[in-house]
Amino acid sequence: MGDEILIKEVKVENKYGLHARPAALIAQTAGKYDCEIFIEKDGNKVSCKSIIGLMTIEGYPGSLMQLSVSGSDAQEALDALVELFVNKFNED
Amino acid sequence: MITVKQLMDEGAERLSLSVITDPAFLNKKIPEISMNRPGLALTGFFQYFANMRLQIFGLAEFTYLKSLSDVDREKSLRAFFKHQISGIVVTRNRKVSSDIIKLAEEFRVPVLRTSMVTRNFVNECTILLEKLTAPRERIQGTAMEIMGIGVLLRGDPGIGKSETALSLIERGYSLVSDDVTEVRRTSRGRILCWANEITRYHMEIRGMGIIHVPSLFGVASIRRYTELDVVIDLKAPSGDEDRTGVLPNTTEIMGVKIPCITLPVRSGRDMANIVEVAALNQKLKELGHDAAKELDDKVINRLMKGRVAHG
Repeated sequence: MGDEILIKEVKVENKYGLHARPAALIAQTAGKYDCEIFIEKDGNKVSCKSIIGLMTIEGYPGSLMQLSVSGSDAQEALDALVELFVNKFNED
Repeated sequence: MITVKQLMDEGAERLSLSVITDPAFLNKKIPEISMNRPGLALTGFFQYFANMRLQIFGLAEFTYLKSLSDVDREKSLRAFFKHQISGIVVTRNRKVSSDIIKLAEEFRVPVLRTSMVTRNFVNECTILLEKLTAPRERIQGTAMEIMGIGVLLRGDPGIGKSETALSLIERGYSLVSDDVTEVRRTSRGRILCWANEITRYHMEIRGMGIIHVPSLFGVASIRRYTELDVVIDLKAPSGDEDRTGVLPNTTEIMGVKIPCITLPVRSGRDMANIVEVAALNQKLKELGHDAAKELDDKVINRLMKGRVAHG
């Protein structure tokens, strides 16, 4: 079970893209889970638990990226993160 | 309400004050924390006479009294003394004439004398009176000065305030007070911190007991006062901490808003190092350089360009 990697494509839909506040929100949410969580865009892959990392992947508004999650609580973590993207990080 | 005695106790040296009349009169209260030049009152005009303030006899008052005949002089002074005067200060080391002393004894009014000129005395005395009467409070927390930045460490008992303070002292910073801090609001709207007289510069370290900081670390390890710049709350980790520092947070002490940072304490985390950086970062923010906000602006700027480029 732990070796399975869950993958899901998400879209940045808020006005300003992945800037500090959404990055902090993602990192904070990801930090609550034990599983490994990565996000990938255009070949750049960073940990979702790192704010600085999240700000380097240039998640401009409208861009697509891939979440990949593996570990014991992977499904819950994925659901929580997808919800953040769908809710536009509670912005706008 | 402060008494003339408190003013004497605190300011006798600084204000070069000496007592002319019976020291028993010194327990007279000063209801209005201010000074008054009673020139007009001495001429017989008592409307709006600020009798609750400290009365200052300067060159003008003396010259006026000298111009009167003995009878008029006694009449003028008696009318003045009848207004329940809280205290008189004679400046320029003027000799206090016997009729003033006689009336002061009769009305039990303390008369003080200073060698200072009126203007300087009024300035210095205003500062001292304000200091004596400013509202003060005692709060929980350890106050330190880190490179000129006043820091108050707060947190539940046992979270490691004193241990963090000790590491900061070892790094060469100064302790103001441990665990219990006295604070007052200054006229410039800042919060001044100092230690309780009795326990000053002592610290309690769990498992070791009480230590005397300057004996162990030298006089550079302590400071009498510091003006508070930032409050740091040490907390058990909750997972909800601000992770960017973009959101400004403040706490209120005696009605003054002070920037406040919450730091989660985990074992193995060097709290002293983090507090040191937090203090420096706060100073940087005050100088107009907010690292978190600047990075965020930079990222947003770039993201907006990306949106244009990719449709």
